[in-house]
Parts: sequence; C-alpha cells; structure tokens
Amino acid sequence: MASVKITNLDKAYGSVRVLHQLNLQVDDGKFVVLLGPSGCGKSTLLRMIAGLESVGGGDILFDDVRVNSVHAKDRNIAMVFQNYALYAHMTVRKNMAFSMRLNKTDKKTMDEKVNWASSILGLDDYLDRLPKELSGGQRQRVAMGRAIVRDPDVFLFDEPLSNLDAKLRVQMRTEIKDLHQRLKTTTIYVTHDQIEAMTMADEVVVMRGGYIEQSGTPMEIYDNPNNLFVAQFIGSPTMNILECQVVEDNGTNYASIDNTRFALPANRDLNVGQSVYYGIRPEHFNVSKQSSSDDNNALTGVVKVVEPTGPETHVYLTLAGQELCAITRDRLELRPGDEVQLQPDLSQVHVFDGDSKNVI
Amino acid sequence: MSKRALLPRWLTSEHPLPWLFPVTSLLIVFGLYPVLYSLWLSFYKRNPATRKEKFMPSWNWEKLISDERVWDAVQITFTYALLALAIQLILGLSIALLLDTDKKGFGVLRALMTLPLVVPPAVTGMMFLLMYDSSFGVISNSLYALNLLSPTAPILGTGSTALLGVIIADVWQWTPFMVLIMLAGLRALPKEPFEAASIDGATGFQSFIFLTLPMMSKIIALAVLIRGIDLFRIYDYVKVMTDSGPGTATETLTAYAGTVYFKSANFPYASTVALATLILVLVTASIFIKVFKVRF
Repeated sequence: MASVKITNLDKAYGSVRVLHQLNLQVDDGKFVVLLGPSGCGKSTLLRMIAGLESVGGGDILFDDVRVNSVHAKDRNIAMVFQNYALYAHMTVRKNMAFSMRLNKTDKKTMDEKVNWASSILGLDDYLDRLPKELSGGQRQRVAMGRAIVRDPDVFLFDEPLSNLDAKLRVQMRTEIKDLHQRLKTTTIYVTHDQIEAMTMADEVVVMRGGYIEQSGTPMEIYDNPNNLFVAQFIGSPTMNILECQVVEDNGTNYASIDNTRFALPANRDLNVGQSVYYGIRPEHFNVSKQSSSDDNNALTGVVKVVEPTGPETHVYLTLAGQELCAITRDRLELRPGDEVQLQPDLSQVHVFDGDSKNVI
Repeated sequence: MSKRALLPRWLTSEHPLPWLFPVTSLLIVFGLYPVLYSLWLSFYKRNPATRKEKFMPSWNWEKLISDERVWDAVQITFTYALLALAIQLILGLSIALLLDTDKKGFGVLRALMTLPLVVPPAVTGMMFLLMYDSSFGVISNSLYALNLLSPTAPILGTGSTALLGVIIADVWQWTPFMVLIMLAGLRALPKEPFEAASIDGATGFQSFIFLTLPMMSKIIALAVLIRGIDLFRIYDYVKVMTDSGPGTATETLTAYAGTVYFKSANFPYASTVALATLILVLVTASIFIKVFKVRF
C-alpha cells in the first residue's frame, strides 16, 4: 500500500492545457473519488497516475518517491477500465492470472490467488469461460479480479460502472466499497456520477476544466460547497439556484427576484444592489399547505409536478417565475395547481457572489 | 408520382433472381465454362502428327501421374509458395508494426509502401531481370563487389539460386499487400487490453506475443490464405525472368502447363496439368482453412 501525492501537475495536448497545476494528497488506505463532468481531466489525471500518459510538468509521488518516469509496469498499481479491457482470447482464469504468469509466479500460488479472488467476486463457476460468454457485470468483476490478485499498492478505477445497468451499478458500488474495506488498499476512483462519489468516497475531489474545484469528505462538500459549480454538481435533485439582487428593508438584507424576497442568513458580507446566487437544497424547504403557516419568510409557490418516490415526495413548483424543487417527507396530497407555502431553512441557505460565483 | 414508379418493372423487383442474374452469368461464362471445358478436354488424347483428338478419358490423367516433370513442378511450386509466403508474412508483419504509429510522416510512408502493388508483374519481372544482369545489373554487381557471388554463376542462370531470384521479385511486389492487411488489422486492435497488459507488467515483446499475435491470428490466417492461393498459381515472374530455366529449375506447375500448351500444342494434356494445379490449390487451401479455423 502507498500514499499518492501530486504536486503542481500539468498536462497539455498540443496547445490545449488539460490539467492546471494540480495538487492532491491521497493518504495510505484512503478511497478518493475524482468527480467531474466529462472533459474535466479526471481520467487524464488517473492515467497519468497509472503511467499511461506522460507528465507535462510537476510531480507524482508514491510514498514520497517520484514516479514520473517510472514505466506503468513497474509502478505496482492495478487499474480497472471503463470497458473492462479484458484479454478477449483468454479465459477468466487466464485473464486474472496474466500478471502472475508474466512475473513467473509458481502454479500453486497462481491457482490459490485466482481462487481467492474468484470466491470474493463470485466468479467460481466462470473461471474457464471466455469474456464474451459473460454478462457485463461478470466482466466487470473479472476486471476487478485481475486487479486484486496483484496485491497492488494503489487501485485505480476509471468509471468502472458506467457501462452497467442501474441495478447492477448499485450492487457493484456496494461490492467495491466492501472490497476496499476488506483490503484497505489506497484507491483512486474516477466517475462523473455524483451518487457514486457520495456513497463510496472517503474524500471527493471535484474537478472542472482541468482544475480542482474543491476536495473534502462527501458531507463537507455537500453541506459547504465552495462555489456555484460544486453546489450544482453535487446532490440530486440538484440545488435550487436563483439569480437575485440584494435589497435592504428595515436594516435586514433580502435576496430579491421579481419582487419576491428571500430571507438571507445573517452575518454575510453583502452590499445592497449586489447580484448574488441564492442557493438552497430541495430538502431544506419546509413545505406546507397554504393555510397552515404565518411565518414572515414563508413563500408561496404553485405546484407543477409531484413525484412521489416512496419515502419522500419531490415537488416541482413555480415561484417568482422560477422553477424550484422541494422535497418533503410529509404526505401532503398535493395536486398540480395547488398553492403551497415554502419555508427555507436559513442555516442551510448558500449565497454565491454573482461575479466570481464563489460562496459568500 | 414516386421515383420508383418511373423505373421499369424489372428494376424494382424484390425477387432475388433478376439481381443475381448479371453476376451469375459472368461467373458461368468466365469461371465455370473454362473449368468444365478444360475438364472435358482432359478426357481426349491428342495425336500431334494428325492433330486429331480421340476420346480416351484416363489417358492424360495416367500420363500426369507418371510424368516426373509434374512431380518436380509440384515440388518447385510448394518450395516457391512456402518460401515466398514465409518471407512476405514475416516482412509484412514487421513493416506493419513499424508503420503502425500516428507519428508525423508515417502516413506518407504507408502510402508509398503500396507503390510496388501497382506495377504489372511482367514489368516487375523485367525490372529484376535487368537488376540481376551480370554485366550491368545493380544487384548482381553489388553481390560481386561484396564477394557474395561469382560472375561465373549468374543468379538466374544457376540452378541453385534461380528460384530464389524469382522469389525476391515476388517478395518485392507482394510484401506491401501483406503490410496493408496487417496494418488494417493492427489499427483495428483495441488499445485498452494493451494498456491493461502494461499495467499488469508486460514488456513490449510480451504484449506482442501474448496479445498482438493471438488477436491478429484470424487476420494473419486470412492473409496467408489469399496470398498462398495466389502463390500456387505463379506464372508471370517465372515466364518473364527464367522461362522455367535453367533446365527446369524454376518450372512451376502453371509454367509447365504453359509450356505444354504453347510449345507442344498438346491442349488436352495442358488442360490436365492446369486442372491438377486447381486441385492442388483446393486441397491445400481446404486443409489450411480446417486446421487454422479460418472464418470469413
């Protein structure tokens, strides 16, 4: 096992810079998820850590040893690819044993390791099949088996679940997390799926356009996004964002849009007239039917679509000409066209600067 | 009115027969008929003096079996085909591996590589004939200068080197074909398994042995089959460069059939030798397809 440290890492393809001075520390045994939309450079970063892409500038260190020019085969890493990258002409057993065959491991150890991996991954019945005779989920497991038999210092996953159907994805997610808890190998996992990131990671690194926007534990990032991008990228349904102006009334600041006022949390450094983004997650509204509330901060919206999910209900509504989403656990029996009252939880309101889009 | 309705009825048919008719008739006229005609011809005995032919179904076939020149020719044909095939395969794959890169300038190299393919085989034969010439040929003179060859034993005039001399012309012309097929195969290989292998600890050579070769096996088998069939029918280079000589040192089966046809005017026996070539190709190719499980 090893820690991975990245300092001032740069990468460019021709004149296009894809990574800008990245710094990242992955502690030994941690599960770190690189999260971002496609084209943000997360896969490039992972491939550089793997040694499949050259380093443009800066350093990659494994356990404080510089590995910039160390060949992929000598880094003692294991990688699981998005499309599995299995050896199509080899059976499952040979796929998993390939690395051991290359370094001339004796047959007994080889069999033991393959059997150990296949029992962990539930592949015992498939060892003599070819990859083309397996389902997507089974192939994914073979790819993971090939990685774990190596006992690597670092596990790298490049969007390993994106080719699987929704149900299998949830199941494999749990399996990968369980595997990490058992093996405790340092893991770097790339995905564009924020749910995967939230559920699996010890630490999430949100990337955009070759920059790291924010890193922290999933809940830190969820509760305290640094900027508008992170706020909108994390969470489903996504955070409600309203483009507002700061107005003052009786010494209190409000965020105003179309003459509707949203209460702002106190102690924020705001100027009257400043344009801000007012952000609040759907579950931080208290939704009630029209009659039951007389709170000053309450807002009135018109229900457009109601989506019951079972434990909670997503209510899409129109307020001040904007579309908002609110989540309630109460069974309010709402219908499209109903008026409802929303009370924002002021302690959970995020305010972002209109220009820099950073949190205020 | 739709465009379809403007066309004559037979051009809008959804029945397969009208569409199969043109190519089928071409195949029958230029493929099937000559073969059947040869077969029919092979059942006649020709009297060279009277120039009359007499129906004797087994005469030519019995002669074929007992004709030592035929067996020599079979041996020479196999030697020629296998040697040329091996050289072209190894050279073709090696050159394809070198050209399989996106580096600048290699596109031009790949295009230049195909040039020998557009030269007519007879011209290639003439070209090599000139280069082998013992007084001014560039190849012969270079070999003399390096003391690898003696001017008293010209390449095409010496029994032991003549066949190799012809093979070299064939290799020059047809290796690019192998390169083209191998390149197409190499370029179509997925990249990820190779990346996975390099992470698994494979060196470049190990990747080639354990991944490239098995993944290319079907393409290689197909290229060998196409080239192999072609090589069994070798005629032009032999005719132009050595005319089966010296003696019969470079007489392949088709060359022998040509000699029998044009020099002895024994058309029935020439047809029989030509049919023997066809049978040899069919049998060899079928065995190859079976053993190497070639799929089209």
